[in-house]
Amino acid sequence: MRLAAVDPDASAAVRVIGYFDQLTEAGAGLEAIVRGAAVLTGCPARLTDGGRRISLRVAPDGSPGAPAGPPDGSWLSASASASASTSTSTSTGADGGAVLWLERPGPAGPVEAMVLERAAAAARTVLAKTRGRAPTRPVDDQAAVEVLIDPGASPEARRHAAGALGLAAGTRVRAVALAGGQARIVPAADAGVDAGGPRAGIGTAVGLEGLPASWAGARTALRLTADGSDDDPGPRSVWYDELGGLALLAENVGSATALIPDELALEHAALAGPWVLPTLHAVATTASLRAAAATLLVHHSTLQERIAHAERLLGWPIREPDGRHRLYLALALRRLRRHLRADG
Amino acid sequence: MTTTSAAGTAPDGSAVPAAPPPFDPELAAALTVIAESIPRVFTLEMLPALRGANSIMQAPTSEELSLGGAFEITERQVPGPAGAPDITLLIGRPSGATTPTAALYDIHGGGMIVGDNRTGLLPMLEWARELRAAVVSVEYRLAPETPHPGPVEDCYAGLVWTAAHADELGIDPGRIVVAGGSAGGGLAAAVALLARDRGGPALAAQLLLCPMLDDRNDTPSAVQMAGLGVWDRASNEVGWTALLGAARGGPDVSPYAAPARATDLSGLPPAFIDVGSAETFRDEAVAYASRIWQAGGVAELHVWPGGFHGFELMAPQAAVSRAAAAAPLNWLHRVLAD
Repeated sequence: MRLAAVDPDASAAVRVIGYFDQLTEAGAGLEAIVRGAAVLTGCPARLTDGGRRISLRVAPDGSPGAPAGPPDGSWLSASASASASTSTSTSTGADGGAVLWLERPGPAGPVEAMVLERAAAAARTVLAKTRGRAPTRPVDDQAAVEVLIDPGASPEARRHAAGALGLAAGTRVRAVALAGGQARIVPAADAGVDAGGPRAGIGTAVGLEGLPASWAGARTALRLTADGSDDDPGPRSVWYDELGGLALLAENVGSATALIPDELALEHAALAGPWVLPTLHAVATTASLRAAAATLLVHHSTLQERIAHAERLLGWPIREPDGRHRLYLALALRRLRRHLRADG
Repeated sequence: MTTTSAAGTAPDGSAVPAAPPPFDPELAAALTVIAESIPRVFTLEMLPALRGANSIMQAPTSEELSLGGAFEITERQVPGPAGAPDITLLIGRPSGATTPTAALYDIHGGGMIVGDNRTGLLPMLEWARELRAAVVSVEYRLAPETPHPGPVEDCYAGLVWTAAHADELGIDPGRIVVAGGSAGGGLAAAVALLARDRGGPALAAQLLLCPMLDDRNDTPSAVQMAGLGVWDRASNEVGWTALLGAARGGPDVSPYAAPARATDLSGLPPAFIDVGSAETFRDEAVAYASRIWQAGGVAELHVWPGGFHGFELMAPQAAVSRAAAAAPLNWLHRVLAD
C-alpha cells in the first residue's frame, strides 16, 4: 500500500486525497491520520503540538509509539494549526503550534507533498473540533507550570517540568495569568483565550527559560483586565505586549500609592447611574463619538447628553484627545485599584 | 449485477437490516487506494491472470519465506489421495531446532479457484517464528478443474503424510494445528471434520481465519454486503459453483465441502475463528463458533468491527489489522502451551 514505491504516477495524488477524505468523513482520530501519512509514504510520521500536549509517532508498519526525541528541524513538515497556511515547509514548528512531520529531510517528492498537505488538513480538522486547553491532570500540570514560572527553580527542575508538559527545548511560549490565581503556559503562536473563561493576562513570547519574566508581565496585564460589566467595563483579556506605557503605570501603582483627584472624580461620577462607566469607557476607547454611540447602542444625541452630564461630574472635558487620554488613564487606574484589592 | 436487498427477510427467513456495518475508517481509506487493483467480482475468465507464473498475486520466493534464515524452506512431492496425482508440500523448519516442534499445517486461500502453497504464507511463518514451530503448506488441486472432493482430499492426504513423517520433519505429532484463511479456512475446518470422522491424524487445534464455510451463500451478511468490499456474494457464488457445480446450494452438499452443513460439531479440536463485521462470511463464521459451543466444544471467536474480507492482509498497518494479526498468535501460544 506504499504509494511512493508502487505508484509514482499522477493517479497517486487522487488516491492520497481519497484516502484522507475517507478518514475525515469516517471521523478518524489523530493516530489514524498520522498512520496514513506514515504508511502512504513509507516514512515514520509524527504530530507534535506542545500546547495540547500531543506527541504522536507512527512507524510505516503502522505501529504507534512514543518518539525517542524532539523533531529534527530539517525534516519535512506541514502546519496543522488552525491559523497557519497549508504549504509544506521545513519549519521547526518552534512556535509550538500543531505540526505534522515526515521523519526525513527534504525536498519532498510529489506523493510526500500531497500526503503532508492532506494529512495536515485532516489533523487540523480534528484539532479544531477538540480544541481546548484543559490539562488532563490539572494538579500535576499546575505544579509543572509553577516550576517553569518560578525564577528560583533549578535548571533540572525546569527540565523535568518542561518534559511533563510536553514542551520541547526551543519552543516559544507565553505565560498566562488567570483571575483566581491559576497559571498557564501556552504556545506563543497559538495563544487564544476562551471567551467566557476567567479574565486573563497574557505575557510576552519567550523561550522556556524566559517564563518567569513572561509570567510577571502576564500578572501585570491581568491587573488591567475588567469584568466587562456595567460596573467594570473593559477587556477581559489583555496582552502585556500591547500595554506600552500602561505597563509602567501598572507596575508602579501599588496599594500604598495615593489616589489622584481624577480617580476620586471618576468614582463620584460613577455614582450617578449605571450608564456612566460604560459611556466613559466607550468614549475613551473608540475612534469617534459616532462609534461610541454605536457601541453603546444609543442615539448620537443621547450620547451627547450623557457626555455633557459626565463632564460636569468629572470636572474635565472629554470630547477632545487630551481629555480622552486623561479619562483613559483614570479608567485604567480604577481597574488597577480593583485588582490590587481582589487579586492580591 | 447483484443488488442489496431492502430491509426485509433473507431466504433463510431471518430479518435483514438494510444498512451494512460501516467499514473501519482506516480500512475504508485503504480501500480507496487498493480497490482499483482488486477485481470487483471474481469471474472464471480472470483465472489465467490470477494463476501461475504470470499471476498478479506475486508469490514470495523461498528466500523471502525463510525470513532471513529463520526457516529452512524445502518442497516435497508426496502421495496424494488414492488414484490422484502427487501433491506438493512446502515445508518450513525452524533453523537450529533440536527438539520436535509444533507445526502449523497451512491451507492457502483463494476462493477455491486460485492460489498456491505460497499464497498467504508469510503471516503464518511470522507466527511460527514466534512459536518456534514448523509450517507445512499444501498445494491442492483447484476448482473448477478439480471439483469437490478433490481439493479437500488433497489437503487431508498432505496432513496424513505430515503426521506419519513427523519424526523426519522434526515435528511433534501431538502439536499439529490445521490453519487457513478464506477458502483455506473452510478447507481447514473440513480437514478437522475428516480427521475426527476417519480417526486421525490427531490435531491440536484448528485456526480458521475468515473461513469460507457455507455454499448456500444466503446468510444475512452475505445479502447485506453484496456488491461491497472484497469477495462479495457474487464472487462467493463463483467460487462455490466452481467447487460444487449444479449441486451448490442444494440438498446434497457434503460437510467436507461446506463445513457449515455439518450436523455434528462435537468432538472437534479447539477452534479459533475470526471474521470482519463487514464481510460476506460474518454470519456463517459466528454461527459455526456458536454451534461448536452448543455442542460443548472449545472455540474462540473474534469479529473485527468494520473489517472487510482479508482486511488484515490488504491493510496490515491499520490499528484494527494489527489487533487482528496479534490475536491468532496470542491464541496459538495458549493452545500450544505445554
